[in-house]
Amino acid sequence: MINVLLFAQLKDELGKEALSIEGNGMSVAQLKGKMKIEFQLEGLETVMTAVNEEFADDETILSDGDTVAFIPPVSGG
Amino acid sequence: MNERYSRQTLFSPIGEGGQVKIQQKHVLLLGAGALGSANAEALTRAGVGKLTIVDRDYVETSNLQRQQLYTEQDVEEKLPKAEAAKRHLHAINHEVEVKAVIMDATAQTLEPLLGHVDLIMDATDNFETRMIINDLSQKLQIPWIYGACVGSVGMTMTILPGQTPCLHCLLKTIPIQGMTCDTGGIISPAVTMVVAHQIAEALKILVEDWESVRPSLVTFDLWRNQYQTVRLTKVKKKDCLSCGDQRTYPFLTLENATKTAVLCGRDTVQVRPPKPLKLQLEKLAKDLNGSGYSVKVNPFLLSCEKNGERMVVFQDGRALVHGTKNMVHAKAMYQSILG
Ligand SMILES: [Zn+2]
Repeated sequence: MINVLLFAQLKDELGKEALSIEGNGMSVAQLKGKMKIEFQLEGLETVMTAVNEEFADDETILSDGDTVAFIPPVSGG
Repeated sequence: MNERYSRQTLFSPIGEGGQVKIQQKHVLLLGAGALGSANAEALTRAGVGKLTIVDRDYVETSNLQRQQLYTEQDVEEKLPKAEAAKRHLHAINHEVEVKAVIMDATAQTLEPLLGHVDLIMDATDNFETRMIINDLSQKLQIPWIYGACVGSVGMTMTILPGQTPCLHCLLKTIPIQGMTCDTGGIISPAVTMVVAHQIAEALKILVEDWESVRPSLVTFDLWRNQYQTVRLTKVKKKDCLSCGDQRTYPFLTLENATKTAVLCGRDTVQVRPPKPLKLQLEKLAKDLNGSGYSVKVNPFLLSCEKNGERMVVFQDGRALVHGTKNMVHAKAMYQSILG
């Protein structure tokens, strides 16, 4: 299982900040696609992703036990 | 020992030697809004040698809740933010040479200001300008510190050319339709928290304590009680167009800039993004409704109005700002809504 953490407005969209999801061997992009279908999460295309607190791109492959954080980029100031 | 800076020099990583360095440095601060005014005050109190402040906007009532340098008097006088900031900063520390530049920051207008700049502080409100800063930083080898906030959320990262990844390594494309302070609101502690991180980084860079510079991106949410640092050791890209081997500095070219034009015979400015977008107009309407705009939306366009100004946004990102011939003002309004 992959542990998923949701930051900022994504936490509100889902109603919780953490969940576990099947995803061993998937890429980050595939996990995003799965989250989008299962939870109707919008805007995942442009979020930053951290895998085990390390910045990761869409091609990164996930393994059981990984913690994936989705972090929306912030632009205001 | 200079009494004014005594507590700062007692802090051993700075010391007397560090203070001398701080007073020899020139910082360019881009943006004089919430992040800008807090950054400007901290740098001025710390005794930076020279501070150049660039901003295109003037002080309004809705700024006072969080933009800590400004007063009701500034609103009354409709002072440009850079100029108002300069006046207040002079009263705080007259030893700092503050230069106010009232202009719209583009690749072409910014580069001439960066001749003898040691550090660029980001206090802008949009990614387009940040990507310009990012390219100029790489081209001219000047460190910069990304900082941003919206709602109760903030984010910051330090970019050292030749060492760390750059912002373009992290964001392959400019994120569209992010939350802005005009759509998602903003509370002052989110500002303060970002600035605390930015200024700590700035002091490290100004005293040249490179080893202590934070190697990670920080993000937090003060309302939802989240704080995360993200390491950046794997993200620097050899083929990055901004910092890689075959770099072209794509954001310094005109084709990647938002364009504005006054429409002939009408009190209207057209704003056009560099590439056509696919906006979710319904979502944008919802965000704007919650923040004081009166909004009308149909599948093709969104019309929003506030304080007598009206903007029509089409699904491809093109917009018409009615009631003005001022292109800088129109672009500011557009970016305050679309980020
Ligand atoms: Zn890069």
